[in-house]
Amino acid sequence: MEQVYFDHAATTPPRPEVIAAVCASLQERWGNPSSLHATGVRALEAVERAREHVAAVIGAQADEMVFTGSGTEADNHALVGASLAAEGRGNHLITSAIEHHAIEQTAEFLGRRGLRITYLPVDCHGLVDPGAVRDAITDHTVLVSIMQANNEVGTLQSIGEIGIICRERGVLFHTDAVQTFGHVRIDVREMHLDLLSLSAHKLYGPKGVGALFVRKGVKLEPYLHGGGQELGRRASTENVPGIVGLGEAARLVRLEMNQEAEQVGALRDRLVRGVLASIADARLTGHPTQRLPNNASFCLRGTDGHALVVALDAEGFAVSSGSACTSGWTRPSHVLLAMGLAPEEAKGSLRVSLGRSNTREEVDRFLQVLPGVVARVREISSAGVR
Amino acid sequence: MTTLRTPALTMDLRGTPCPLNWVKTKLRLEEMAPGAWLEVVVDDGNPARNVPRSAEGEGHRIVVITVTPEGVRVLIEKV
Repeated sequence: MEQVYFDHAATTPPRPEVIAAVCASLQERWGNPSSLHATGVRALEAVERAREHVAAVIGAQADEMVFTGSGTEADNHALVGASLAAEGRGNHLITSAIEHHAIEQTAEFLGRRGLRITYLPVDCHGLVDPGAVRDAITDHTVLVSIMQANNEVGTLQSIGEIGIICRERGVLFHTDAVQTFGHVRIDVREMHLDLLSLSAHKLYGPKGVGALFVRKGVKLEPYLHGGGQELGRRASTENVPGIVGLGEAARLVRLEMNQEAEQVGALRDRLVRGVLASIADARLTGHPTQRLPNNASFCLRGTDGHALVVALDAEGFAVSSGSACTSGWTRPSHVLLAMGLAPEEAKGSLRVSLGRSNTREEVDRFLQVLPGVVARVREISSAGVR
Repeated sequence: MTTLRTPALTMDLRGTPCPLNWVKTKLRLEEMAPGAWLEVVVDDGNPARNVPRSAEGEGHRIVVITVTPEGVRVLIEKV
């Protein structure tokens, strides 16, 4: 039985058009884009075309996009690059308590090297209060980094409001848009963004490629050294097939984003209604309306996220949990704890993230299977088996 | 004598190295209708030689090249 894939927040299946573009690139555009001869220029053309497609999705200019090896690298580059560029002028970074580890652990790294880090709290829906950003900014603040949407609970932050505050105070503003790029509308000008991270593989593109938007005029120290690629902003021979795949995914999504969000959102709403109606003590986590169209995340009291994922896998469904299983112990997600959930409740987290190829029939089958799975997991959990 | 009309688009490619300046020119030309004019402003030296040469190599017509103190303006007609 083919598995039903409900884990699009983790990664997405590459689209056939993307696979074709990547393969064509490997066959026909294999030159080194830095080479001056025609073979190199053919590869460079492919990279620059992809850059235009990616930039167009977020309202940026092509020159403002730096290709990276991942969304995580883009996050690291934004935080480390901005901090280094501001040395002697500032030493304070503001972020939130619910960021992806790519931001959280990079901030911790910088904190160990002398930067002062402020982690802003969130409310019970996972929202950062823009007023708290305003209050936290000091004369020494270098950068504010707040994710556009949380990867576990899907809550969309008020990025535009935070952007205005940062711009007024002359502080750089970065957002991790790995979950939102191509899924919700982004306009870097309207949102007053200086830096934005994105990734290809959350948008039906290949793994191993992402990009960082760097607004024209923003000074960032390079993160990788050893070559003049990306106009000196990121050394390393370009991952041409990966970049082409990202570009193709971006080109396609510009044509389809609104329709896809509507279609996936309707399925998600059906799933949420079904879960809340059929599972006792189930709670939707994240904001009820201000959330990613594909995200349905729950806490199912008396269960264990890891056990739910394993049991649903056996039933033919790929889902995930915010909780992490470490050495046999289930560790509740830092996101859910920051939202005020008790560790016992947070332990039973379940994330269902839908995609463009999911169907109503798949959702209905999931809703049929879930009550039995939850009952079994609750039985095991109450028996004290981890 | 050629009567100059307004280019459909002007691109400032000063500071953009070879061959990136030509690639950016080529991508714009691909989007334009045959007969349309594209003006690119490039740095003097290699860019001012290479961009027109590459354009002609792909069959486009160089309408005029104007050297100014601010850069070299290359007017290209798409084939």
